[in-house]
Amino acid sequence: MPKIDKTVKNETIYILYFEIVLSAVMQSVFLIIGKWDLSVLLGNLLSGSAAVLNFFLMGLSVQKAVEKEEKDAKKIMRISQTYRTLFLFVIAAIGVYFSVFNTIAALVPLFFPRIAIALRPLFSKKNNTDTQNGETDEK
Amino acid sequence: MLELAIGIILGGCALGAGMAMIAGIGPGIGEGNAVAKACEAIGRQPESKGDVTTTMLMGCAIAETTGLYALVIAILLLFFAPGHFVNILINALG
Repeated sequence: MPKIDKTVKNETIYILYFEIVLSAVMQSVFLIIGKWDLSVLLGNLLSGSAAVLNFFLMGLSVQKAVEKEEKDAKKIMRISQTYRTLFLFVIAAIGVYFSVFNTIAALVPLFFPRIAIALRPLFSKKNNTDTQNGETDEK
Repeated sequence: MLELAIGIILGGCALGAGMAMIAGIGPGIGEGNAVAKACEAIGRQPESKGDVTTTMLMGCAIAETTGLYALVIAILLLFFAPGHFVNILINALG
């Protein structure tokens, strides 16, 4: 198994933290409007974990692609994207088809990584400091 | 007549889902181009590999959201919309 790049690890952890925080917010909203039940939690767990896994797999593909030639890198990313979209399709279909998962709770967490990235500039100062420290450690 | 109407609804939903997934092509091409350019940049400046990878990961995730929107629309059209539309039709016909 190839060694996981430090950048990929850090970014996945960042996305994972945000996924947990935003999932908690979503659960709170369901609780406040009085529509919370176990299916909301199950749907959230299903698609939340799928979203983080999708980001991690994308990171691994990027890590693999940057070590290749330009042409191969393009090919790797296209193949990876196709398989990851298929994976998300299956997860979303399971979330919508089976009544054990709440439909909204099974679809909304797929967009949480996008929200995490949109909010990234707010935390960029801290992350820059972390990266610089990381580079110092490596040297 | 009702069967024909239901068939048209189901066919329309399936066609719509298929057409929505055309948007899934774009992110693949975009990500491929971004990574190819990143390879070029890293080749020129190997010391900037960490920064380039971070920026590229974020860019790829953003590009992929477009595909995700299409995916969710397709899923809703396949699993959610047909039943909803058929119910509306049956209610309208009484």
